Amino acid sequence: MKPGRVIGTVTLSQGAPQFRGARWLVVSPMGKDELTGTNAGLSRASTPVVYDNIGAGVGDEILYVEGAEATQPFPDPIPLDAINVAILDHHAYAPPS
Amino acid sequence: MLHARIDGWATATIAHPSLKGQKIVFCTPVDDEGKDAGMPIAAVDPIGAGRHARVFITTDGSWSRDTVHDATSPIRNQVIGILD
Repeated sequence: MKPGRVIGTVTLSQGAPQFRGARWLVVSPMGKDELTGTNAGLSRASTPVVYDNIGAGVGDEILYVEGAEATQPFPDPIPLDAINVAILDHHAYAPPS
Repeated sequence: MLHARIDGWATATIAHPSLKGQKIVFCTPVDDEGKDAGMPIAAVDPIGAGRHARVFITTDGSWSRDTVHDATSPIRNQVIGILD
């Protein structure tokens, strides 16, 4: 699971049939500066598009899973690389100084 | 397996059902000398590692699915050991 901030959404006019009704989030991965609050903006990491079925919106902080495990919640094969698994209420991050 | 340090925690009311009741921690991967080596990741922590503890994390999704007893769980990362 990786932490990320939702910075946008994507809609498709054409897509694989398994994606009917899917919501897609554009996510800025959160590194140390974003988790500690030093940087409230975008991180330098590239922004994945993440499947969402729990209802995250722009500005939410989420945990997303990348890789084959992302398809695990689905009963049938689905061409998916990343899925949102949690919308964060609170978090703390304090590496030793 | 990843070698990492516990640097934080998170709570989530809305999450995949397999995360319900699980403790979620943020871990910073570290190298052999304890220096930071990568972006922080989140993991489920069933063993209760303390703040700044050095831990081992598995990224094996099938093992994590077994331990949460949910074949539909997308969870990969789990704390599986605390280093002395």
